[in-house]
Amino acid sequence: MAINLQKGQKIDIGLNNMSVGLGWTPNEGTGFAFDLDASAFMLDQSRLIPEEKYFIFYGNTDSPDTALHHSGDDPTGGNSDGGDDETIVVDLAKVDPRVQEILFVVTIYDSGPRRQNFGQVRDSYIRIVDNSTGLEVAKYELGEDFSIETAVEFGRLYRRDGKWKFEASGIGYKEDLAFFLSKYYKGQIIK
Amino acid sequence: MAINLVKGQTIDLRKGERGETYDLSQVTIGLGWDVRKKNGIGGGFLSKLLGGEEEEEYDLDAIAFLLDGNGKVANLGRTADINGRSIGLYEGDIIYFNSMRHPTGQIWLTGDNRTGAGEGDDEQIIVRLDSLDQRYQKIVFLVAIYHGRQQHQHFGMVENAFIRAVDHQGHEIAKFNLSGDATYNGMCSMIFAEVYRKDGTWKFRAIGEPHQTDSFVDLLKAGYTY
Repeated sequence: MAINLQKGQKIDIGLNNMSVGLGWTPNEGTGFAFDLDASAFMLDQSRLIPEEKYFIFYGNTDSPDTALHHSGDDPTGGNSDGGDDETIVVDLAKVDPRVQEILFVVTIYDSGPRRQNFGQVRDSYIRIVDNSTGLEVAKYELGEDFSIETAVEFGRLYRRDGKWKFEASGIGYKEDLAFFLSKYYKGQIIK
Repeated sequence: MAINLVKGQTIDLRKGERGETYDLSQVTIGLGWDVRKKNGIGGGFLSKLLGGEEEEEYDLDAIAFLLDGNGKVANLGRTADINGRSIGLYEGDIIYFNSMRHPTGQIWLTGDNRTGAGEGDDEQIIVRLDSLDQRYQKIVFLVAIYHGRQQHQHFGMVENAFIRAVDHQGHEIAKFNLSGDATYNGMCSMIFAEVYRKDGTWKFRAIGEPHQTDSFVDLLKAGYTY
């Protein structure tokens, strides 16, 4: 059964194999396509990505420990009719021991020049699905709660006493992906 | 923008402009910097006594090594007498201020700018990768401050210095700011980037590795093969 998450709500994830799915409906108007991106930051105890390959996004679809796999970029929302358009498959059993936390973020690509925000995107959500049953564990509707924002921190999986928990953060930002990356990465970013 | 360049550490957030979508049939390596007013550093009173609005000149140079399949500069050229000066590494596989045009004509330095005066790129190395002889498998691009050690100059002091790579369509592939960051204090040269053949096409890789030496010859001798 789906839990519609509240900010700060913590759940014992109780799963190893899950998918973090992002879905939205293509823009059928005449404007720019809405290009939503799902990204995951695998963070060490200093809350930094230990190596750049531990940042999973459209430009890097697999983590070195093979724990995370991104299905690839959907620039329009057209990949699936009604289902997830971008998916990050998570296998917690494979996560590198250095990684203490996996942070999930959704951003709207090029939202500045295209003058876009979540309020304009139709039927956008991010959710967690249990891969063994196909059932939805948690879901955020992005359009309703984040009408003027261009980025949403969805939540984080984190280790606690040998177990993984999920904390829903649901924080909206008027920022882009580089903003989040600059918090967790000390190398160069080309925008 | 503070840029902390560690070898290989670059995340490119652009879509549709990554990797092979660049038009690498011709690549321009652009190097730019600004002259700096000396009294801006030393304090007004003393520097005025010493001559006031003097400008300190930095002479940055763009350099290219053409490497063969073994990752070596195969042809070190010859020593030539040019206008009464003895010039080494002339007409070999190194493109630099004393040997600006490669014998094949497919890669050249547009000129030696010694002060950085002017907007935009002050020096450019242009390479027609599509026409480049098959014996060249990789080109490594460098930047160095001419006589930097002797003049006590380093990238941490140069104003608005950058090196960038631009593809044939004018798209900037990579750009590193060389100044305004403590990381570059004491650094007089940098291995900027390389282009290399892979599966019949050319690939670009940003490297951004700073070095203390001001001489590309040191880097050449150290066997910078990448």
